[in-house]
Amino acid sequence: MLSPISVSLANLNMALLAPMAILSFGALIVICIDLFNKNLDKSFYVMLTLLFILFDFTALIGLSGSKHGFFNMMLVDGISILAQGIILISSALIIITALSNKPFKEFKKAEYYALFMFMIVGFQFMVATDNLILIFLGLETASLSLYTLIALHNRNKAFEAAIKYFTMGALAAGFFALSSLVFYALTGSVELSVIEKVLSARNYAPGVAILAGVVFMLIALGFKLSVVPTHTWTPDVYEGSSAPLAGYMSVVPKIAGLVIAIRFLDIFLHAHIVWVQDILIFLAVITMFLANITALVQEDVKRMLAFSSIAHAGFVLTALMIGSTQANSAIFLYWILFMFTNIGAFTMLWIARHKKNLWDSRYQHPFTKFSGLVKVSPMMAMIMAVFMFTLAGMPPFSVFWGKLYLISSVVDSGHIVLAVIMVINSAIAVYYYTKLIVYMFLKDPITEDGNIYIANSSTPIKVVVGFSLAFTVLASIFVEPILTMVTQLMQSSGF
Amino acid sequence: MEHILSLIVFFPLVAVFFGFIVSKESAKTFGVTVALVEFLLSIVLWIGFDKSNAGFQFVEYVPLISQFGVSYYLGVDGISLFLVILSTFMTLVSLISLNIKKDIKNLVITILFLEMTLVGVFLSLDMILFYIFWELSLIPMLYIIGAWGSGQRIYAAIKFFLYTFAGSALMLVGILYLGYQYYIATGTWSFSIPDWYLLVLPFSTQLWLFGAFFLAFAVKVPMFPFHTWLPYAHGQAPTVGSILLAAVMLKMGTYAFIRFSLPLFPDASVYFLYPVAIIAIIMVIYASMVAYAQEDMKQVIAYSSISHMGIIVLGTFAMNAEGITGAIFLMLSHGIVSGALFMLVGVIYDRRHTKMISEFGGLATIMPRYAAIFGVVMMAAVGLPLTVGFVGEFLSLLGFYRVNWFMTLLAGTGIILGAVYMLVLFKRAFFGKLVKAENKALKDLDKREFTALIPLVALVVVLGVYPKPILNTIDISVKKMIVLMEKKAVLPDTRELLLRVNSVGGTK
Repeated sequence: MLSPISVSLANLNMALLAPMAILSFGALIVICIDLFNKNLDKSFYVMLTLLFILFDFTALIGLSGSKHGFFNMMLVDGISILAQGIILISSALIIITALSNKPFKEFKKAEYYALFMFMIVGFQFMVATDNLILIFLGLETASLSLYTLIALHNRNKAFEAAIKYFTMGALAAGFFALSSLVFYALTGSVELSVIEKVLSARNYAPGVAILAGVVFMLIALGFKLSVVPTHTWTPDVYEGSSAPLAGYMSVVPKIAGLVIAIRFLDIFLHAHIVWVQDILIFLAVITMFLANITALVQEDVKRMLAFSSIAHAGFVLTALMIGSTQANSAIFLYWILFMFTNIGAFTMLWIARHKKNLWDSRYQHPFTKFSGLVKVSPMMAMIMAVFMFTLAGMPPFSVFWGKLYLISSVVDSGHIVLAVIMVINSAIAVYYYTKLIVYMFLKDPITEDGNIYIANSSTPIKVVVGFSLAFTVLASIFVEPILTMVTQLMQSSGF
Repeated sequence: MEHILSLIVFFPLVAVFFGFIVSKESAKTFGVTVALVEFLLSIVLWIGFDKSNAGFQFVEYVPLISQFGVSYYLGVDGISLFLVILSTFMTLVSLISLNIKKDIKNLVITILFLEMTLVGVFLSLDMILFYIFWELSLIPMLYIIGAWGSGQRIYAAIKFFLYTFAGSALMLVGILYLGYQYYIATGTWSFSIPDWYLLVLPFSTQLWLFGAFFLAFAVKVPMFPFHTWLPYAHGQAPTVGSILLAAVMLKMGTYAFIRFSLPLFPDASVYFLYPVAIIAIIMVIYASMVAYAQEDMKQVIAYSSISHMGIIVLGTFAMNAEGITGAIFLMLSHGIVSGALFMLVGVIYDRRHTKMISEFGGLATIMPRYAAIFGVVMMAAVGLPLTVGFVGEFLSLLGFYRVNWFMTLLAGTGIILGAVYMLVLFKRAFFGKLVKAENKALKDLDKREFTALIPLVALVVVLGVYPKPILNTIDISVKKMIVLMEKKAVLPDTRELLLRVNSVGGTK
């Protein structure tokens, strides 16, 4: 006979669930409101979503230290809090861009906002656990919502992007499940902490099974992080989805993936298993080179930014391989700085969106579109140039500091050659970012009408851009507090 | 005088932001005024500068990222003082000479931004801060060449940008590695140069780091074989771009040799003395020969710049007070002379829209004042005694004579070759008969051009006759640096060489 299970509420540690619960509640409320009143303006939904995200955020910053809850299902430690913070801030910025000047079908639907919130919840669950099953659930919740959000954009390209992303995502989910299966078979647990204990007790044998598990997991995470060779979906999906969602995809799923990668790889890096490091170095180098070289020949700014975000992921991957506190802090510092800049850059494309492809039959944002922008719309050209130089790692803008700290952590771990490869890549990358600047500043304008470039602009969007810009330009001041915070949280969670 | 260095660095930047509001018609006057104030500020700095103090003065220190040792650290010594004044002076003169009408406001703003980065490079005492200004200086130059240049301007601008950016990529790894070495040695992170000066590195480490830094500086100087971007950039750049590029931006590279390579890696510097000197001699002779073969006036001056930079590098690597002081003085004089020469070519280009020497001839009869000024500046360029060009060139070669007399002899032929190509240029353009009909109606220098050129000519003569106040101030800081190099050297060979090349002058 089963003995009765008594659970005290304190053991459950409900506070850990609060952030996600708030947002799920918000999503349900949005759906309920939609049942009663179908004629609500998008500004209402955006503000409501923003309010719940803010609410979520306040619940989040109340948490501190490493805490387990729900029978070890949930684990909220330093990196989890940090990652959730990044997810929420970028979500807040992205949802504001829905208040565009031009009307779009998807923003009128309440489902868009409900799905958006469910997606955030999914990502939050992903980073707030070390249980492979809960990670999987979070991953799927978030991804399925995201596929739908992309498809809601209601263009042929968007459907193509959604289906492509869905197919690839399904494949990745399969690999994730396979990897979990292998580790469950090996250790009898789906919790990463238990897996680590069991594996180290038996000295990481049998090697073949572990190799299979690690490779499956790297493939699954590779899809999320868009690491070569599992990056092929990225440019097409970014191109097809609306610019803010593309910007969102380049930041949020990746930080969630990075957290899982840090948690997962820590098992093997602590044990100094060399081949895991070798695989990661190989992936990082090939990702940087391939993405940067492919980006050189892109004709569309959005696709160029897609490849650039792949290259940035490759850049961060190098730190993943090191696994020291400095390297892990560098990942988060880099990603926080990168987040603002990249969201800013994609929002600029969102502003420049036009119903028709005026300049090219295939692309919405070909380079030629921006010819001589400085003479037509100088402010926009300046801001775009700052974002491009920042992504290129030009000092003293934000990403430079991340790059500096990241390369420093690589140098400190003794991988000088890898550091040299990284700077060579940032030298290659400069070319394609400069290409846009050359078009904007040095070529002659193709149109006199500057309004074409700011057709989709509105005050809220300008606020988002201004916020990103201010953070990007004044980063030198913010780096110190961010770095201190990141390092503290990283040390407290033991990475 | 508390924050005068911050003021000098950021005054142009603040002016840039205000410049956006100034109307297009007043943009040039605004630029000149700002540059004048900036120049006066640098003169105030010189007046307040303590000539008997060899160390860094007016130091400002604010930690930026204390955990990682990055700080906002400014300071000036005898080595950097005159380069700062040169930057502010040349910016002022080039803005006065400006006569471009197209997008003048953007151009003025860009030049002021460039001035900030140039001054920042020379005043930074934190390596990361230095790197920031070093890289930032590329952006305005990219824009100046690309937007106001001629011919293949975009190609030239991108080539310049990518070449120099890629060159300094390795330096970043070097900086971070050096920072880590400091962390290992002391337990704290620091990127400040005075801190790094105290760090004694093993020889093998020095070799690698010297290489990483050398590449960045060599591209900037530009040293053979990384010089190919320079003729392109000069060829397409507008006059103002050429002036600032030749007069100030190239000096960043040679300044960095003196500031970083020599005192941070004394053993590696001595180890690489001969290879670097050979490259420098190749620069001197090869560039002179190429200059002789050019048909375009601007290209002649561009290649002559490479040749002169060769002598500066040679003087720097003489490792003694005469050589290095001479090299720094030659940076100043070359800044003045090459700036003046590019401006003079700009004058004739504005009138005829060509720079081909064969298009001219007999200009002396129609433009006597122009010919006279060109003559004086040209004499300085070939290093005639009693002009500014002579002092630095002579001291640099004198310094290197202690190292190796034969190589000095080879480099000395550069002066003769320099005289050859410059005098031929002068002869073909100014003497002979005035044959071309288009040249008969040319106007002589106007007021604007005079205002810009007269200060330069005056400096050419004054500093040529009496360079002592400048030399003394430079010398004291250079001597301090050489003492530091000798103290830090880990190999006996290095110490021996330093003592040998310095003994006659009695610097110790």
